[in-house]
Amino acid sequence: MKKIVYIFSDGELKRQDNTLKFYCEETNRYLPVEDISDIFVFGEVNINKKLLELLSQKEIVMHYFNYHGYYMGTFYPREHYNSGYMTLKQAQFYLEHDRRMGIAGAIVRGALKNIRQVLKYYANRGKDLDASLQKLKEFEEQIDGCADISELMAVEGNARECYYRAFDKIIENEDFVFEQRTRRPPRNHLNSLISFGNSVMYTLVLSEIYKTHLDPRIGFLHATNFRRFSLNLDIAELFKPILVDRVIFSLLAKKMVTKQDFESGMEGIVIKDRAKKLFVEELDNKLKTTIKHRDIGREVSYRRLIRLELYKLEKHLMGEKEYEPFVARW
Amino acid sequence: MLVTNQQDLHITGTLIWYYFICHREVWLMARNLVPDQDNPNVDLGRFIQEQTYPREKKEISLGHIKLDIVHKGKDGLVIGEVKKSSKFEASARMQLAYYLAELEKAGLTAKGELRFPKEKRRETVELTDELRAKLDAAVRDILRIVYLDGPPPPVRVRWCKNCAYAEFCWS
Repeated sequence: MKKIVYIFSDGELKRQDNTLKFYCEETNRYLPVEDISDIFVFGEVNINKKLLELLSQKEIVMHYFNYHGYYMGTFYPREHYNSGYMTLKQAQFYLEHDRRMGIAGAIVRGALKNIRQVLKYYANRGKDLDASLQKLKEFEEQIDGCADISELMAVEGNARECYYRAFDKIIENEDFVFEQRTRRPPRNHLNSLISFGNSVMYTLVLSEIYKTHLDPRIGFLHATNFRRFSLNLDIAELFKPILVDRVIFSLLAKKMVTKQDFESGMEGIVIKDRAKKLFVEELDNKLKTTIKHRDIGREVSYRRLIRLELYKLEKHLMGEKEYEPFVARW
Repeated sequence: MLVTNQQDLHITGTLIWYYFICHREVWLMARNLVPDQDNPNVDLGRFIQEQTYPREKKEISLGHIKLDIVHKGKDGLVIGEVKKSSKFEASARMQLAYYLAELEKAGLTAKGELRFPKEKRRETVELTDELRAKLDAAVRDILRIVYLDGPPPPVRVRWCKNCAYAEFCWS
């Protein structure tokens, strides 16, 4: 599978003949264009139209993050997977209340199952998480009783709050306590890690959507408001616990990231580049890990699992096969 | 792939090609639900089409059909179809035969040539009554498939192993 390029340095990304070259103070290097699927830009990078043309031609998606690690935007080249049929189906399912609830409910159920899978892992390793697991199970049972999207969102929100509270028992590090979920700005170290990780996850899913016939603007759980991508937020719900949160736990448990990797600024607690890089590396390694998929009969990576999720959604929209969210078994 | 402006409905050579491999692909392609373009085989196919036979005219559009190669031979027009390998030769033969039949309807006589650059091999195709009849039946059946409400369910065949739709079909 093609690679994701992460740029943390400041410099200039240019088209050099028919490939890419990144110029910066430390080193100038070529980035073989045929081998790249996405570029994540964290540093101050200058670009020009010629570069965008090449990215467009090679169907490479480029995401930007600002200094604080917040998602800023995406260069989403013109769609190359166009199917009016699929766009209409997606809109139809969004507009019909019961159908929209069907998909949104499945996503929340999948997300809560994956959350419990993460907690179970730590419960098996002696952490006292039985109460949290029990409560999460109750939230899961409330899903079917939800009459509309806002009730569903409330269940999801409460469940997630309960889940995040369990983080203290897993992490057991007084430098990284949860307190409460704060964002824009995150008010403590753990919250800023969660926010950063989630932003990266949303953009990863967006990149995968680009490679399907789905329109990222039409989400089912998250409302579509035509200004912003929302389908990626939906699908990311499933993968945040098993990818992002697990990376956070492992970075903190191995003391790879410590209090020194943060500074407080006007925009809350800011993660320094070193820790962002470590996070992205760990996540990238996870995404590349492959498992043998029984039904497909091929090795698929975690990253590919995101794509498969979108394929399943497409088949649901086509009326072919009911959408079953991915639930981790390990 | 398929223009469905009611009065203006055409079948392309690609659909003929898919018809003899997998009916599900026909339904999907007719809705422009193209397979994963990152698949290495799809990539390689595109590369071969772009990089081979640099001296010949390529990608000629004639109405709704698109010919890989067109050239004037000693005894008339020759149209060529470039393929990555001869693994799907039967299918490729039908695709080319369809082009010949369409040209014939437009009053053009031509010869067909299947080309497998990687194998350094060419095969000629001539339109026979038997092929005409087979094409007719195929076209009618393609229309039937295309108008189905949903795609024909996936059937595991030997082609699935390397197919760019496999992850879509079996996920």
